[in-house]
Amino acid sequence: MSSAVRSLLAIAVLGASAQAAWSQGLRDRDAAIRGLLARAQGLATEIARQDSVVRREQHRERLATRFDAGAVTVILPVSVGNATGRRFAAGAFQLLDSAGVIPWPFVQSRIVVAYAATGVDSVVRAERLERRSRIMADISAAPDSLADGLLAAAVLGNAYLATLDGEWRAWLPGDMAIGWSMRREGTGAARELMAGETRAGARCLGGSVADCRLWLGLDRDSGESRYQPAEIRRVLTSRWGTWVGRGLIGECQAGSDDACEKLVREGRWLQAIPAGPVSRGSLLNAVCRLHGSEALRRALADTSGSVGERLARGTHLSEDSLVAEWRSWLLTGGGQSPVTADLRDAVPAVLVAALLLLAAARSGRWR
Amino acid sequence: MFRQILRSQWLALRLPVALLAVLGFALPLLTVTYGGALENAPSATVAQWLFASQKIGILIPGLALLVGLLLGIGTWAPDHAGKHVYALSLPVPRPMYVLLRFAAGATLVAVPVLALGIGSTVAVLAVKLPSGIHAYPAQLTLRFAMACLVCFAIFFAISISTRRAALAVLGLLGGVLLADLVLAALSISGGASVTESVIYLLTNWPGPLAILMGRWALFDV
Repeated sequence: MSSAVRSLLAIAVLGASAQAAWSQGLRDRDAAIRGLLARAQGLATEIARQDSVVRREQHRERLATRFDAGAVTVILPVSVGNATGRRFAAGAFQLLDSAGVIPWPFVQSRIVVAYAATGVDSVVRAERLERRSRIMADISAAPDSLADGLLAAAVLGNAYLATLDGEWRAWLPGDMAIGWSMRREGTGAARELMAGETRAGARCLGGSVADCRLWLGLDRDSGESRYQPAEIRRVLTSRWGTWVGRGLIGECQAGSDDACEKLVREGRWLQAIPAGPVSRGSLLNAVCRLHGSEALRRALADTSGSVGERLARGTHLSEDSLVAEWRSWLLTGGGQSPVTADLRDAVPAVLVAALLLLAAARSGRWR
Repeated sequence: MFRQILRSQWLALRLPVALLAVLGFALPLLTVTYGGALENAPSATVAQWLFASQKIGILIPGLALLVGLLLGIGTWAPDHAGKHVYALSLPVPRPMYVLLRFAAGATLVAVPVLALGIGSTVAVLAVKLPSGIHAYPAQLTLRFAMACLVCFAIFFAISISTRRAALAVLGLLGGVLLADLVLAALSISGGASVTESVIYLLTNWPGPLAILMGRWALFDV
């Protein structure tokens, strides 16, 4: 076989192989495309199914359910679930009951309604709750916001606050300090007092009852007496650093005492009462714990005089005695006395030791 | 005889006693490491210092527990090691021997108590307190002494108790836990817990462990 024939044969064999390879490649690509199409169809089906689930859930969100616990009624989205809803309402009732500040008739005449719940009107009609006022609350279906009913209790506290006179409204914390606990808020209140941001606070910590009244804003005095100009400058500096503001802020920072006092009077840049809401809540809680919630209810029903005078009348104490009592209560973590070693401690300790000694003497391993 | 027992007990326990004494002396002094000149200090500094004092105070009942544990168990260690032969060979009735052991152990407990008293006094002398803040060295030392005595008595009794007594105590604890489990399983607890109630009874006046609770700060309002 000549070399030309061999070359031709080789070319023919190569051509046939290339053709076969090309055909095989096309077949593989088709199979891959078919596989991809099948997967895309599968995904589209899954997306449609998920969409339908979401739509169903959204539809459920629009429905509302009523939950009751004691005097508390809340309307929540149906998606919340019965157990969670009942627990939420019970938590709110428990908090209001332990706070004991808000009169039950007020609570019974209201319904707390979650914004997320729709179809509320039909629920209200069906449950014959038309005569009750609705209080809208930003309660979501998230488990965190439904943990203990604190939100519902705070919302009711806020609504009750709105019914009180201007003196109380200006002084009381927004949530009426419902849910206030010594372990959480008590530590914060004590720290705020101890931080000594104002001279009144520092002197109150030192034991001056008159300064405690100033710090808590209990008297009908002007805001200027509660702050020193230098303290106002310090607060401004701590808030904005060395940046010099315009107008009154700038003048105050530049050293004008008049401007600083005007700032306090305006009440926009500095809270009129040095004690924050948590610390003021501590006074409400001290009154409840030491004199019963009835004392606080009496004070809240009182509409004459300053907040301090009202609380003093409610507790049947002088204002100074009440404030001194509060200071001691707060700084000792709820009335725990400092370290003691009196007869009351000694008797059980010695008795326990004696009993154990007697037990050890009467029975033993080598008897 | 008390002197002999005390001497033998001291020889056996001198190392833990010395260690506990050092700890007792050092704990109150930790407070003043945060500063001593507080008379005209800013309130924030006083506040931080007071919080530190209260945090250190929490360690003191822990030290009382340690004193009770080491000395209460240590008191009987030589007897356990010698299979009680020495005690049986003595011409004294058993209750008297137990009383002597207890008295000797309680005497050794006095060493860390005394050290804490000295440490507290030194700490109080080292600070100038602002108005409204007070020091309680005597009360702290006395309370520590009572807490040590209770803890010592508990571990002293446990250490010499019979196997039957130990089983009875363990059975009681197990029974309390079992009661809680049963109540929870039957859903009739109504939020109440037997364990919690027992702990409450033990740690609140006049419970035996109430002395370990409460405030333990050397400096307080």
